Amino acid sequence: MSVPRLLRRVVFAVSATLVAGSFVGGGSPPIASASFSYQRISGEGSSWAANAIDAMRVNVRQFGITVDYNPSGSTAGRRNFLNGTVDFAASDIPFQFSPEDGSAPENPAPGSYAYIPVTAGGTSFMYNLQINGKRVTNLRLSGENVAKIFTGVITTWNDPAIAADNPGLTMPARTIVPVVRSDGSGSSAQFTKWMIAEHGALWTEFCNRSGRAPACGNTSFYPTIPGMIAQNGDLGVAGYVSQGFAEGAIGYVNYSYALNAQFPVAKVLNEAGYYTEPTPDNVAVSLLQARINTNEADPTVYLTQQLEGVYNDTDPRSYQLSSYSYLIVPTKVAGQFNEDKGATVGAFAYYALCQAQQQWASVGYSPMPINLVEASFDQIRKIPGVVVQDIDIASCDNPTFSANGTNVLAQNAPQPQACDQQGSVSQCPNGTGGLSNVPTDVLAGPVTGGTTPAGGTTPAGGSTPAGGSTPAAGSTPAGGSVPGAATGTTLPGSNGGVDAGTGGQGCDADTGLCAGGSSGTPTGGGTATGGAAGAIATTVLPQPSGWGGSTVLLLLVIALTLGLVLTPALAWRRFSSKEPA
Amino acid sequence: MAGVTMEAFGAGGAVETTSVDHVATGEPAPPRRLVVRKGRGDRIFFGGASFSGAFVLAIMVAVGVFLAIQASQALKSSGFSFLTTSVWQPDRGEFGIAAIMLGTVLIALVAVAIALPISMGTALFITEVAPKWLRSWLIALVDLMAAVPSVVYGLWGAYLLQGKIVGLSRWINAWFGWIPFLDVARADPNSPLSSESVYTASTFIAGVVVAMMVMPIQCVVMREVFSQVPLGEREGAYALGSTRWGMIRVVALPFGRGGIIGGTMLGLGRALGETIAVVMIISPRFDLNFHVLEAGSNSVSSHIALLTFESSGFGLSALMAAGLALFAVTLVVNFTASWFVARSRSGASSEA
Repeated sequence: MSVPRLLRRVVFAVSATLVAGSFVGGGSPPIASASFSYQRISGEGSSWAANAIDAMRVNVRQFGITVDYNPSGSTAGRRNFLNGTVDFAASDIPFQFSPEDGSAPENPAPGSYAYIPVTAGGTSFMYNLQINGKRVTNLRLSGENVAKIFTGVITTWNDPAIAADNPGLTMPARTIVPVVRSDGSGSSAQFTKWMIAEHGALWTEFCNRSGRAPACGNTSFYPTIPGMIAQNGDLGVAGYVSQGFAEGAIGYVNYSYALNAQFPVAKVLNEAGYYTEPTPDNVAVSLLQARINTNEADPTVYLTQQLEGVYNDTDPRSYQLSSYSYLIVPTKVAGQFNEDKGATVGAFAYYALCQAQQQWASVGYSPMPINLVEASFDQIRKIPGVVVQDIDIASCDNPTFSANGTNVLAQNAPQPQACDQQGSVSQCPNGTGGLSNVPTDVLAGPVTGGTTPAGGTTPAGGSTPAGGSTPAAGSTPAGGSVPGAATGTTLPGSNGGVDAGTGGQGCDADTGLCAGGSSGTPTGGGTATGGAAGAIATTVLPQPSGWGGSTVLLLLVIALTLGLVLTPALAWRRFSSKEPA
Repeated sequence: MAGVTMEAFGAGGAVETTSVDHVATGEPAPPRRLVVRKGRGDRIFFGGASFSGAFVLAIMVAVGVFLAIQASQALKSSGFSFLTTSVWQPDRGEFGIAAIMLGTVLIALVAVAIALPISMGTALFITEVAPKWLRSWLIALVDLMAAVPSVVYGLWGAYLLQGKIVGLSRWINAWFGWIPFLDVARADPNSPLSSESVYTASTFIAGVVVAMMVMPIQCVVMREVFSQVPLGEREGAYALGSTRWGMIRVVALPFGRGGIIGGTMLGLGRALGETIAVVMIISPRFDLNFHVLEAGSNSVSSHIALLTFESSGFGLSALMAAGLALFAVTLVVNFTASWFVARSRSGASSEA
C-alpha cells in the first residue's frame, strides 16, 4: 500500500533533483532569476486536471511562485475567468460559444484569451466491486456497455452483456450505481461527446428519459435519473466510489484519482478489439490521432482538439476516452490582471510545458507531444508582461521528445497482452489503476450459465473441482470433504444459493482446473477461491428481512415477558394506593 | 419598541414636573405632562443606538429588495409556475423551486426532529441536573459545537458518518418501510447483494449532519429559558414533595414552553439555510421526493451554491429568485419563532 506512494515520492525527489540540476547547470533556465519577485496568482477550473496542477503548484513554490488553484470544475473555471475573478482558468473543453445542452452561451471578448494545452490524460471508469469478498481489479467493459451503464440501461453487474466482456469473472448480481458529476464539468462534456459520437441512440434515449430533451447535445451537466448518484468534483466522485457502502458503484474520473484512491479502473474496449486502460503510454498513443486545430488566425479554436480520430483509433494500445486539458490564459490586461501577474502566469506556464511534463506519468497523466509544446510556447508569448524564455526543448526531458521529432513515448508504449483481446478465452488477471499490483483470480475458460438460479445444485457441480488443493496438477480432485462443506452452507434462504453457486464456479467444471491454476499463479489460488466462497455463503444467509412470522412471534414473546414482569408491580401499586383512600 | 427605548432614556434624564398643586382644590389631578430633557451623552447614545437598529433593518430590507430586483427577470418569465415546477433548466425557460424547496423543508424537519430531543435534554441537564463545576464545562462545549465550521461537519458527514449510518437507514427501511416516507425505491433488504448506495446521499443523512449544527442554537435558547424558572415555583414544587423530574414536568417545562418552541423554530431557520455540509453529502435531484432515506435530495441553498459560479444572466436571475423564496421562508420562520418567545411567560419576563 505504501510502496507505490514511497516510489512516487522517490520519483518525485529524483525529478526534482533533475530539475534543480538542469536549472543550476544552465542548460536553459526556464524560470527567471531569483531576483524577480512573482505576484501571487489564482486559478480555477478543471478538477480532472487538478492533480497535475497541484503537483506543479508544489514544485514552483521553490522558484517563489505561489499559485492558488480551486478545482471547482471546468465550467466554474471558465465562468470566473470571464468574470475576471481569477488570473487563469483550467478547462478540459474550450469556451462554449453555442452550447448544445441548452445552457447559456459563453462569450469571451475576442482576443482576450489563449488556450494552452498543458496535460493529457484518460477519463477512466473507477469502480468498487467485489466477487466473493475479494476486490475485482481487472474488469473489462466494451464502450457500448459503458454507455449502457451510464444511461441506466444495464443495471446489474451480472448482466449478460457485461459477463460477455469478462469471461474470466463470475459477475455478482449486484446493482450498478453509476456515479456522475453534479457540477459543471469538462469530464462530463468529454464523456457525453464520446457517447454521442459512438453510441448516439443510447444517449438520445437517456436524454429523453431524464427530461433533458430536446437539448440533447454534449453537456457539462450530466443529467441524472433515479438510481444514479451525482457528486461534486472528481474528488467527490472518487471519494464516493471508494467508500465501503458504495460497492457496485462506478464513476468517471481522471485516471490519477483512481491511482490516488488506490482503486482499479475498467479496461475499455477499443476499435482494435483490445481492452485497454488509460496508462500514460496508452494515452500518448491514442492522442496521436487527435486532430488539433492549427488555424492560428482564429484564437477561438486555435489548438483545440477534435477527438473523433481517437475514438476510432485502430492501434491496439489506444484508449478511447483520452483527451488534452487546457490552461486558459488572459492575453489582455483587464481588471485585477496586470502585467506583473502576467509575468507569473507566463513563468508558471513555461514550467508546466517544460519541466512538469517529466513527472506527468508519475501522477497519472501523460506528457504533451513536441508539436503542442512548441505551439504552446508561442501562445505564452501572448500573455501581457510575460518574460519570454528561449527554451531549448531538448532540455525539458519530456519523455515524448526525440531527436527525429517522433513521439518516443507512443512508439515505445507496450502492446497489450493477448489476454486483453476481445474474444479471448479468459482475461488478464493483472490489476489496473491504483491496484495494478493486485491481480484478480480468473477462470480458465468462459463461464457457462452465469447465474444458475438453483443454488443448491451448483455447488454440487462446482464441488468436483472445488477440491482445488491440487489445481496445478489438474488431477482428479479429492472432492470428498469439500462438497460436504458446500452443501452445509446452503442451508435456508434463497439468496445464499446464488452465492454458493458463484463460489462453485471459481473452478472450471470441465477441466477440473481452478482459477489461477492454468495461468501459472501459485496453487494456493484455487483453494483460496473455494474458501472465500464458503465464507461468503455462510455470512450472507442471516439477513434481516422485515416483518415476518418469526418476528411477530419474537415481539409477542417480548410483550408477554414485559407484561409478566410489569403487571404485578403495577397492580400492587394501584391497589396499595387505593387502600388508604 | 421605540416607546420602550424612550422610556428607558427618560428614566436616565432629568424629569421635570409641570403640575400645579391640585390637592387644595380637591379636583382630580390631571395627568402630569412629562418633559424629558436629555443630556448630551444621552443624545449621542440614543442617536447611535437607533442608527444601528435602523441600519440592521435597512440591510435586511436592502437584501430583500436586491434579491427581488435581481429575481424579477426570472420571475416575470416564469410566473406562478416558479412555485410548481421541479426541474431546473432556466436557460430553456423551465425552472421552479418545487423540488428544491421540498428538499430544503424535509432536511430541516429531519434535522429538527433529531436535534430537538437532544437539545432539550442537554438544556435540562445543564440547568437542572448537572453539578455546578460541570455546568460551565458543558456550556462551553455546546458553544464549541456551534463554533465548528459547517464544512467540517460536511466532511465528517460525507466521509465518516455516511459509511456508518447506512446500516441504520437500511434497518429503518427494512422494518418501517411500510410507512410511505420511509420507503426506499430499488432497495431490497432481502438481498445481500443489493447496493447500500440507495441509502447514501439522502435527505436523512443530510438532516442528521444539519442536526448537529442546529442543536447548539436550540440548546442555548432553551437553557436560557430554563434558567429563568422562578425560584419560588421551583421550591414550591419541591416543598409539595415533588421529585426533581416532577418539578421539571410541572414547573420547568410549562414555564419554558415558549422558549422550547421558539428555540426549535430558530433552529429550523438555521437548518433551512444550511449550505456547504448539505452540498457535500447530497446527490442533487430534481423531482418531488418524499422518501427521506432514499439516495438523492436537494436544498435551495446547496443548489445556489452549486450553480452560482456556473450560471450567468438569466440563470443567475433564476437562482436569485430561489434565494428570494428561501429568504421569505426563513423570515417567516424566524418571526414566528420570536413571536412565540415573546408571547410566552418566560419570554415576556425576559422582554420586560
